[in-house]
Amino acid sequence: MSSIGFSTGALCKDALAEAIDASDQMHLEAIELSALRLRELAGLVDYVNAHDLSRFKYVSVHAPTDYTADQEPEVADALLKVATTFHWPVVVHPDCFRNTTSWKPFGKWLCIENMDKRKTCGRTVEELRPLFDEYPEARLCFDIAHAHQVDTSMTEAYRILREFGTRIVQLHVSEVTSGSRHDRISEGALRAFQEVAEQLPRTAPIILETPVLVSEAQAEIEKASRIFTAALLETTR
Amino acid sequence: MLFGSGGRFEVTSGSDPDWTLLVDGQANAKHQETATRAGVAIDEIAGKPPGREGIFGALAFSHSLIQYIGGQDDTNANLTRRILLLLESKAIGREDAHRRVVNAVLDRYLATDRGWMSGHTPYGVPRFLFNDIARYWRTVTVDYAYRQWTRNNQGWALRRAKLRMSRKLTYAAGLMYCFRLAGESREVPMSELDSGWKLRGIETLSGLTMSTPLDILADAFMTAPPLHAVGRHAFDSYDRFLGVLDNRDTREHLDTLPVDGAGSDEQYQFLRDLGERFQDSLSTLFIRDGRSRYPRLIEEYGVF
Repeated sequence: MSSIGFSTGALCKDALAEAIDASDQMHLEAIELSALRLRELAGLVDYVNAHDLSRFKYVSVHAPTDYTADQEPEVADALLKVATTFHWPVVVHPDCFRNTTSWKPFGKWLCIENMDKRKTCGRTVEELRPLFDEYPEARLCFDIAHAHQVDTSMTEAYRILREFGTRIVQLHVSEVTSGSRHDRISEGALRAFQEVAEQLPRTAPIILETPVLVSEAQAEIEKASRIFTAALLETTR
Repeated sequence: MLFGSGGRFEVTSGSDPDWTLLVDGQANAKHQETATRAGVAIDEIAGKPPGREGIFGALAFSHSLIQYIGGQDDTNANLTRRILLLLESKAIGREDAHRRVVNAVLDRYLATDRGWMSGHTPYGVPRFLFNDIARYWRTVTVDYAYRQWTRNNQGWALRRAKLRMSRKLTYAAGLMYCFRLAGESREVPMSELDSGWKLRGIETLSGLTMSTPLDILADAFMTAPPLHAVGRHAFDSYDRFLGVLDNRDTREHLDTLPVDGAGSDEQYQFLRDLGERFQDSLSTLFIRDGRSRYPRLIEEYGVF
């Protein structure tokens, strides 16, 4: 069974330490340390250098999405140090690559996330392929909610998993609204996600991006685990 | 979205700008304003409004196309938009939205076709989709007669030529569209969890939607080498037909041709001959020549 955890930004926005404490209280094995806003990055770096997170089986870092081209080398340098020191994948949005040389040194620690419909790159097989050509060692953060929003039939999800499934290092799970906001997983989305459950790597950690109160987190974890329930029943039949 | 000749990549000097603002997202009161502004801009470029039937030049919502297949809410306009979305549509705006709606419509056809999903339909043709495409074609032919009646035969000659050529081409391509899934065999026994079968089907058909009816028909002839000569007849006829449509004088002449003048009208007779040659080629492809798989599939699906 995959490790499950939350993105710290989803669990406690702007409060990294609180989100980690909440994850500890739920005995979660996976966590994604979120620095979606550039102003969060320095605090994240200071925190991980000062605290031991080895109790988590899986840790990743989500890179900022709001830096300028001028800031990119400094951002990439800070993230590279974290990645190579702790051996944690760094999740980067495809539209955030401006200067490819900044990201080449990441090798396998670079984790590219498939995008939602607002973006003009990284949404489909055809849009992801040039990125993996550019970064051949990079891995994939498969955001099943983004794939569902891009194509509710899950055909594009199926295509991405067929083409890049072996690159998957973690899953992002939530529901993404038509306005591209992360939301709790609905029954409709859950049924759609189950359509590609058999293609999802069983061991890939699941990172929930659903915005929930800490008191509601366990229920959301149980719902997310249902993505695999049907597939598990099938394989053991 | 562009439909009609624009969607088929067959625009001629007399083509109607058959467009629709396809909405796939949250309801928004501003959508009508956007459609109105788009209409003004498109009319200005095309120099004329969309066709008279009122199906185009308006808003359409993905929800209706996906949810209302059959039943009282599946109006003539909804049926037309849905089938033409699959068979002759091109995005002039967001290609990703086009693909998303096409895939969702195909999901609806395939997921609810229990026979096809279970691999029990003969040769693997999706019967639900096939039947709806056939229904659309029959609707087009009946509406042709209705318009003759309600418009006192005005513009009948061009309408008839289009029925026998471009409308029939779309139908023929629709048959081939469904037949493209024929021969696919399921690798695992049916279960509700075997979504890969359905998703592969959607992927194949969605790819065909991004081509044109002429491409789909050409592919059918090309993959049946004994029928290459027949294919040349079909495409020669169609090419000449487009030549007629592109001739302004001929169009104007045909647009005002009275019914009782057709027997002695050279230009109409020329079009009629093209229609018969095109039909003859299609009959050979679909029915007469057993060297391809198509007559077998038509026997299985085409009548009952």
